[in-house]
Amino acid sequence: MTTSVWKGIFTAAFCMFSLLLHAQALRLSGSIVNAAGQPLANVRISLSAQNLQTTSDAKGNFRFENLQAGKYRLSAQLESYQLLQQELELSGDRQLRLLLHEQQHQLQEVVVRDNLVQQRKQEESLNVEVVKADFIQRNLGGSLMKTLERLPGIKTIGIGSGQSKPLIRGLGFNRVVVVDKGMKHEGQQWGADHGLELDQFAAGSVELIKGAASFVYGSDAIAGAIDVKPAPVPAAYTLGGAVDLIGKSNNDLYGTSVNVFGRNQHLFFDARYTDQRYGDYRVPTDTVFVYDYAVRLHNNQLRNTAGRESGMHFSTGYLSDHFRSIFYLSNTYSKSGFFANAHGLEPRRVDEVLHDASSRDIQLPSQRVNHFKIINRSSYQFAAHQLELELGYQRNFREEFSMYVNHGFMPPQYPESMTIPTDLERGFDKQVYAANLRDNISLGAHRLQVGLNLERQNNTIDGWGFLVPSFNQSTAGAFVYDKLKVNEDLLLHGALRFDYGQVKLFEYRDWFPSSINESGVAVPENVVRAADLTRSFKSLVWSLGMNYNREQLELKANVGKSFRMPIAKELGANGVNYHYFSYERGNPNLDPEQSYQLDFSAGWNAEKWSVQLSPFYNYFPNYIYLNPTSAHDRNYGAGNQVFEYEQSKVMRYGAELQLKYNFWRNLSTEVLAEYLYSEQLSGTKKGYTLPFSPPASLLLNLSWNPELRGLANSYFSVDLRMTAAQNSIVPPEKKTPGYKTVNVQAGTRFKVQGQEFQLSLQAQNLFNSKYLNHTSFYRLIELPEAGRNLILSLKIPFMINKAE
Amino acid sequence: MNKFRGGILMLLSCAALMAGCSKDEASPVDETYPVIDITAANAFPKQCSVVERGKSFTFRATFSDNVELGSVSVDVHHNFDQHSHSTEVSACEMEAKKVANKPFLLIQDFPLAAGLTNHVLEKEIAVPADVDPGDYHFLVRVTDKAGWQTIKGISIKVK
Repeated sequence: MTTSVWKGIFTAAFCMFSLLLHAQALRLSGSIVNAAGQPLANVRISLSAQNLQTTSDAKGNFRFENLQAGKYRLSAQLESYQLLQQELELSGDRQLRLLLHEQQHQLQEVVVRDNLVQQRKQEESLNVEVVKADFIQRNLGGSLMKTLERLPGIKTIGIGSGQSKPLIRGLGFNRVVVVDKGMKHEGQQWGADHGLELDQFAAGSVELIKGAASFVYGSDAIAGAIDVKPAPVPAAYTLGGAVDLIGKSNNDLYGTSVNVFGRNQHLFFDARYTDQRYGDYRVPTDTVFVYDYAVRLHNNQLRNTAGRESGMHFSTGYLSDHFRSIFYLSNTYSKSGFFANAHGLEPRRVDEVLHDASSRDIQLPSQRVNHFKIINRSSYQFAAHQLELELGYQRNFREEFSMYVNHGFMPPQYPESMTIPTDLERGFDKQVYAANLRDNISLGAHRLQVGLNLERQNNTIDGWGFLVPSFNQSTAGAFVYDKLKVNEDLLLHGALRFDYGQVKLFEYRDWFPSSINESGVAVPENVVRAADLTRSFKSLVWSLGMNYNREQLELKANVGKSFRMPIAKELGANGVNYHYFSYERGNPNLDPEQSYQLDFSAGWNAEKWSVQLSPFYNYFPNYIYLNPTSAHDRNYGAGNQVFEYEQSKVMRYGAELQLKYNFWRNLSTEVLAEYLYSEQLSGTKKGYTLPFSPPASLLLNLSWNPELRGLANSYFSVDLRMTAAQNSIVPPEKKTPGYKTVNVQAGTRFKVQGQEFQLSLQAQNLFNSKYLNHTSFYRLIELPEAGRNLILSLKIPFMINKAE
Repeated sequence: MNKFRGGILMLLSCAALMAGCSKDEASPVDETYPVIDITAANAFPKQCSVVERGKSFTFRATFSDNVELGSVSVDVHHNFDQHSHSTEVSACEMEAKKVANKPFLLIQDFPLAAGLTNHVLEKEIAVPADVDPGDYHFLVRVTDKAGWQTIKGISIKVK
């Protein structure tokens, strides 16, 4: 289908939206109080029929103007209070008095209640999953992304103790946007050997959006977005906090996260410190074969995979009736080792005595990452507008350390004249300045969002190894998104977005001479690996969607175009990646990647059971792909196989299925299934799949939530995950056999002398099964996944001063 | 309960269908690695072979692929630090670790003619007289047309 046809459809739909717009003038006003009769300010009140929203003022009063006669559903929502929902019919002006009840056990927990999540799902035409802090605590993995892996359609690609990047329906790296506190998280997204710099204890809730989400998030949101939201602001006049303690058996991890928060009427603060330390992780084997070379493991431990991470977070802000402004300051730091026998795929002879002396030390090779962020989020509400502004600065600083190895034409000894430290193989320093501005406008049945995103990146490199040149990048995008409530059952969505971006690569010249073969004569030359290059990109994307919710039925459909600007690595790589013995060659002529995606979702919610099926179809006219060629390169690639960035047509389809059934009040079962198929339709790898395609999998769960005396929220739950073999591969992958794993989760809450304790226990890979993960960085060297891991976590929330 | 059983049944049949699709189809694409064969009597070097400084030797190995061979690359580098990427099972007797002064370094690629599925490569390789003697790695790489690569690491000695 051509772009112009879609543009036509879009314009027609937009005109229809406008024709439906008409107005009458009724008023709905009222006041909101708590059980003690005190007025409640900052209550968010929405009228669902027309997507109107307002917040109550200091006296608890609110008001909607210019309403039409008809039926409405009103909902009132305030942190630490139970959600209030009521149906009402408007035939003339009306006044209401609303009463909100405080939530029990309400401390620093996420307030998003199930029916709000339900509402969010029913009003979003893309596939959305929302998980809250309790899901994170229940399924706590090695990292936030690893924790999310339980959700259908989510996988991770990673290394070691959970350091991983998300894959949404098989696409990852720069094809998934991760948003943290309203800002796109910018690290080294393209790398598979490190994780995302996020602290899972600091996450309030996570919203996962599957589908063509570029129209909101801009470049990169081809597969979708993962929106990590901060903990909600504390209730007025409270002072409290929580202590989290965590221990894991597999890598002997221990850690803590301490949180303190407080608020008067208008000002609040929230501070958190997290610290985790872990040793080498264990696998259920005593020997691994790296390129047929047998590596003995000491105590089943992967040599030198220990690490430590810390996170510091501070937020403070001003909250009032129509204006709020919050500053978020955070710094995450991590240092971890690489598996010493396979840094790169080269099983270099390692000093096993040195490494095996302690399972907790971090020797070479290792990596260190620091991510600093400061973000301000402000919103201002007036008349039918809600203005939102985000301003942010972040710096990602990552270094890879390794003993000097003279690969290729590098001199046998590291020259003393070099100013780069001898153990610094690579360094990446990224500084990002960004601004987002949005206006949410309520116009009758329309809820319009217009927005602007600006971002500037400065990237520099360091180290004696070279993969990607230094670069600067500027991007700007503007969008308009309209949500139209046609009637109580039907919502229509339409969006249009334009982006402009410029990327500027800087020249890089080798610090050592290569022996360049020019017509049979070897000439020493410090080769230019990357030349100065400036490219600019334009893109117009759109999205159309609908929601139909009637009684128990939920239907969704969405079609949209997404895009991605080629990254510096794809345009300017020119070096040997000794992880794969590949000489990676960028292509300065790449076009922006485009993607068209069709999404459906059908759900049925009965009293005892619910089902949801979400199929999708995705087509790329020019997927950017790192193609292993049949050539070797002597001059630039030190004799290694040439991998070249190319663009090809790609088709993908798949589906997720979720089924829940309550046997009786306390016992329920859940089935989550996912399937994905990808195929390259053109180019030299025509007929092959895409790299890192997750195999089909099925998760069967049984949950028991007993009501036990003296205990609350008790649960006992078993997950059986069955993963099919992945036999569709593309060079240089290997076929991966299927496997089964069992995870168990249990937890409860209890009080000792009025102090609450929240205990959760997990057993991951209960039977210590030995299996390979097709999407692991270590898959190519046949390294099995982590063995049995018992995770114990205890949360101790405390309240020093409770709101009256 | 009946509805539930029906659901599960439906699901299982879906899963079976999926598994069936991904498993049984004959693969239309090349998934076979090329092969490096140094078992022939005149193949050289082999594991623990010795080459002499100031002389030439003939690198001789047989390469084969089910569809079409791509190219061959040879890399000779010192192993004075005794790193190991030998893919041969038997280990050779190693000299003591030492620092490299002027190690022998050879990186050479050999593109192959199109359409070959089996080829015996013979190349003269000269070892300069002034290089450091000692333990070396002779690394052979071969690709096929589809981009599959096989690597063979052979430990040799320069005398």
